[in-house]
Amino acid sequence: MAALPLEQALVLAALLFALGLAGVLVRRNVLYMLMSIEIMLNATALAFVAAGARWAQPDGQVMFVFVLALAAAEVAVGLALLLLLYRRFGTLDADALSELRG
Amino acid sequence: MLRLIWLVPALPLAGFVVLAASGGRLDRRSIAWIGAGSVGLAALAAIAVAAAFVAAPPPAGAYTQVLWHWIEAGDFSARASLYLDPLAIVMMLVVAGVGFVIHLYSVEFMRGDEGYNRYFAYMNLFVAAMLLLVLAGDLAFLFVGWEGVGLCSYLLIGFWYRDAVNGAAAQKAFIVTRTGDAAMAVGLFLLFASLGTLDIQGIALRAPGAWAPDAAPVVAATALLLAGAVGKSAQLPLQVWLPDAMAGPTPVSALIHAATMVTAGVYLIARNHVLFALAPAVQYAVAIIGALTLLGAGGAALAQHDIKRVLAWSTVSQIGYMFLALGVGAWAAAIFHFMVHAFFKALLFLAAGVVIQALGGEHDIFRMGGLRRRLPLAFWAFLVGGASLSALPLVTAGYYSKSLILDAAWASPQGGAWLWAAAWVGAALTGLYTFRVVFQVFFGAGATTDTHRVGWPIRIPLAVLMLLSVIGGFVEAPQVAGRLEAFGHFLASALPPLQPAVAPGTGFALGVAEGIASFGGIALAYAFFLRRRSIAALVARSAIAAALHRLLESGWGFDRLDDHLLVRPYLALARRLRADLADPGYDALAAAAAAAHRGLSRSQNGRVRWYAGGIVVGSILLVGAGVWL
Amino acid sequence: MSASDLPILLPAYGEILLLVLASAILLVDLFLPERLRGLTHWLSLATLAACFVLTVQVVRATGGQAAYTFGGMFVADLMANVLKLVVYAAVAAVLVYSRRYLAERGMLRGEFFVLALFATLGMAVMISANHMLALYLGLELMSLCVYSMVALNRDSATSTEAAMKYFVLGALASGLLLYGMSMLYGATGTLDLTQMAQVIAVGQVNGVVLVFGLVFVVAGLSFKLGVVPFHMWIPDVYHGAPNAMTLFISTAPKLAAFAMAVRMLVNGLIDLAGDWQQMLVVMAVLSMALGNFAAIAQTNIKRMLAYSTISHMGFMLLGLLAGVVGGNRFSAPDAYSAAMFYTVVYVLMSLGSFGMVLALSRAGFEAEELDDYRGLNQRDPWLAFLMLLLMFALAGVPPTVGFYAKLAVIDAVIKAGQIWLAVVAVLLSLVGAFYYLRVVKLMYFDEPRDAGPIAPGRDVRWLLSANGLAMLVLGVMPGSLMALCLVAVQGLYPLAR
Repeated sequence: MAALPLEQALVLAALLFALGLAGVLVRRNVLYMLMSIEIMLNATALAFVAAGARWAQPDGQVMFVFVLALAAAEVAVGLALLLLLYRRFGTLDADALSELRG
Repeated sequence: MLRLIWLVPALPLAGFVVLAASGGRLDRRSIAWIGAGSVGLAALAAIAVAAAFVAAPPPAGAYTQVLWHWIEAGDFSARASLYLDPLAIVMMLVVAGVGFVIHLYSVEFMRGDEGYNRYFAYMNLFVAAMLLLVLAGDLAFLFVGWEGVGLCSYLLIGFWYRDAVNGAAAQKAFIVTRTGDAAMAVGLFLLFASLGTLDIQGIALRAPGAWAPDAAPVVAATALLLAGAVGKSAQLPLQVWLPDAMAGPTPVSALIHAATMVTAGVYLIARNHVLFALAPAVQYAVAIIGALTLLGAGGAALAQHDIKRVLAWSTVSQIGYMFLALGVGAWAAAIFHFMVHAFFKALLFLAAGVVIQALGGEHDIFRMGGLRRRLPLAFWAFLVGGASLSALPLVTAGYYSKSLILDAAWASPQGGAWLWAAAWVGAALTGLYTFRVVFQVFFGAGATTDTHRVGWPIRIPLAVLMLLSVIGGFVEAPQVAGRLEAFGHFLASALPPLQPAVAPGTGFALGVAEGIASFGGIALAYAFFLRRRSIAALVARSAIAAALHRLLESGWGFDRLDDHLLVRPYLALARRLRADLADPGYDALAAAAAAAHRGLSRSQNGRVRWYAGGIVVGSILLVGAGVWL
Repeated sequence: MSASDLPILLPAYGEILLLVLASAILLVDLFLPERLRGLTHWLSLATLAACFVLTVQVVRATGGQAAYTFGGMFVADLMANVLKLVVYAAVAAVLVYSRRYLAERGMLRGEFFVLALFATLGMAVMISANHMLALYLGLELMSLCVYSMVALNRDSATSTEAAMKYFVLGALASGLLLYGMSMLYGATGTLDLTQMAQVIAVGQVNGVVLVFGLVFVVAGLSFKLGVVPFHMWIPDVYHGAPNAMTLFISTAPKLAAFAMAVRMLVNGLIDLAGDWQQMLVVMAVLSMALGNFAAIAQTNIKRMLAYSTISHMGFMLLGLLAGVVGGNRFSAPDAYSAAMFYTVVYVLMSLGSFGMVLALSRAGFEAEELDDYRGLNQRDPWLAFLMLLLMFALAGVPPTVGFYAKLAVIDAVIKAGQIWLAVVAVLLSLVGAFYYLRVVKLMYFDEPRDAGPIAPGRDVRWLLSANGLAMLVLGVMPGSLMALCLVAVQGLYPLAR
């Protein structure tokens, strides 16, 4: 099996990352923003794996595992917040939450 | 033992902190114990340190204690250090010792005042600041004490702040001395800029190598320091604040005049004598200022009605003597006169305080009289103090110190017959105005009053100061009284002795002449104010004399002069500038800031997606910066 | 005893103890009856005290030398230990200040203490991280705890909104940081910061990938520090969070963020200083300008202090960007120690001023409007005086310590030859002086609006007094703290002689 060239993997990761970033900026629903952030984290995880392969080290995959674990923890907190948000405001529209400004 | 020196300023400071922090929760007894006790302990510590110093002088005749490194910025380094040499010891002992007896006196004197706590807090801070000033090893640190003294004088002169007049007097003192302080600060900058240090010993070491005598920077620096000293020590032309400073309680006046504040200028010049020796022109100016001040203030003292104002002008005059001594290079004589003056001036003020309190706050000497029998203690105290102030030959301390100054004015290369003559006339004036008060207040017929009983907190200070006003001079004696130079020898390692000394024959003649001046002044006072009051009254009626009297009473009209020359033009200018050209500029700045604020807070619109956009745009900009810069 | 003779985990003893005790508190709190709830507070304080003492012992044992463990992932050098000591002390102060506030609002529950302790653990790990994985783990541990703390008051709409914003933006920033880390790993082949510095020094790396990595790392760091343009969460979160949480997030995490910046930029990427210093210059100037101008007309003191945080962090960056001049690291210790001093001092100032907000709040009343400070001098002169000291310190008025902190940083900037930057910094600080002094004016020259009782507990009053007076004492005697910062920074790997 031919090794995946690092550059291609990095470009893929960058595209995924940009996609996630765009999602955060474009989606108004907080749930989708959360999902976009997950995409960004997965993009970085991919980059780590690719880089680990490039250097023939396990470190990249270790990082991958940790990133996944932490992303899960983050989602746990995020979803709890989301529930709270929905209970208080009855909406998940991020733009509706702009009481604090100035 | 010497290591304990930090305690000397720290104890009164601690007293201040405790009193200030107590917030009026302490009873009067504790306040008195803390207020007077802290200064008393400081005095004991000072004595112990001084004894240790004399018993085993440290190498090089001085001891430095670095407390901490205070400011370090670039090449600038100001150490918070204490420097102990014989000069500092004398100053420290006098400040702490006289300060303590004044505190003790205040325990009873201020007993009825509602601001008892505030009073002792300020007084402790005052003494602490002055001790810091005389012990500081670094001019920047000294300046802290210098400003602290100025602040405390403001607080204490305006102590009875409910009366607007007192507040005005306090402001006057503060503003006038600040004028000098500002000049002094510039002088410090100049010294630092040229020598790279503000350490007093460092300056003394580097200055002679860096500057030729009369070089422009050293002349400028010393002139600026002199301006600071003139302000603090109430010399011409910045003497105007001191007579008004009588608005404070009498012990405060005693403290300001005897132990703290006004002597700071004398100390500053003595401390930097190396610099002044490098600038003979400025040093000569010191002598001239001293001579003019001692004459002018002596004249002004002659025309005052208020007992405290007489004493205030006499202080200005006596400090003029000290400046004269500094100006002719008799450093030790100036410090000697400072010490003796501290004793008798504190005594005079404290005695005057007893008189004023006994008469229910009366200050006018022409409403007093015959108090000799009613107030024997005050009478004797005032008589001893007055005799010392008038330099009654041989038996009083004042004679020894003053005649040393006169001798020096005659013999010093920077001195001369004119300076001596001025000082001689001043000595006669001193006797005249002092005994004018003595005869007016304590002799003759006058207001009756019940005998005023005073307790031991007042008696002990008076007794101690009476003793010191007499024997305090027996440490140094001029030619006429058998040569003795213990004081000068003690100071020799810090202050160079005067060269050349007075020739024995001349010295004897000078001593006799000085005695004549003193006796003459007293005799004139006796003639005018006790024996032949009619003469005085006759003189007073003539138009010229009346005009002269008015002039003298107003202190040579300096207040009016300042008012016309400075205050009114300034006020007029301020009125003119009320709507000035620069205002629109400032308004535009403010408007721009407000506009910037509005714009920026609009960017904070509360929308999380906008914020995320900010982060993304920021990252993109950073990428741009990272890749293309 | 040489470093090799030490027990292998010794450098991390403090964190291990914190982990164990925090978990124990989590369990104990479950079984505590309601009336013994106060016990959790004392247990948490005892935990922090124990960690403090243990960290001091670690410093003793290592003699102040850098000690590594977990295969070099974790370093306990002097900077780490000093910052950790300040973190423990700051968190303890937060707990003392906020006890009554939380109790009156029904938030004095085990969650708060456990979250605070775990966040503290996260900070300690961040401070000691010498490896990007450890750094990321510490960061996430801290962040997740703090998000939850902000949302702890479930009845408050504003804190929910604040928590949401904080969470979304924080996660985004973590993503950026992580992405940057992955690039750095791709370019250098190592996650270890010491090795990374060595690899970069040798020079065989892909420049573009490296710079991309650097950029995203700087973006992530900047978010945590809260500098422009990554600052936007700060005003809303400070404003919206319950006062006690604002106090928490405005203090100790700043130290952790500073440590993270030093670890990444100095320990790992000092050879790219020419690049990141340029970025910091821009962000520092923008932060000082935006922070100060936006704070001018705020009516809410928490929001005002939030903007002031932005400007202060911008000022602190000046120290970080003045270290390397033309590739020469000669003056770096001075510059970085000035930045460290500034950060520590800022944390003290922030503790005091938000502590004051808490002390003046009472049941059903939040003292967060500037109007609530009118006439404070008439209501409680001592607290007004302490607030005056704190405001003077924030404004940088001598002789308070704020002045010396600014002086040290400006000194470093001037030594680095960036005179114009120093001038800009001073001018913008001048703008800042306006709104700090306005608080003083309100306290001393206006009539009180609020007539409610001011009754902070005795412990709060003492701690606030110590906190406020420290501004003065440190201002007069900054020498030892300054020297400590210098020694700590000199022990950093790339600067060690």
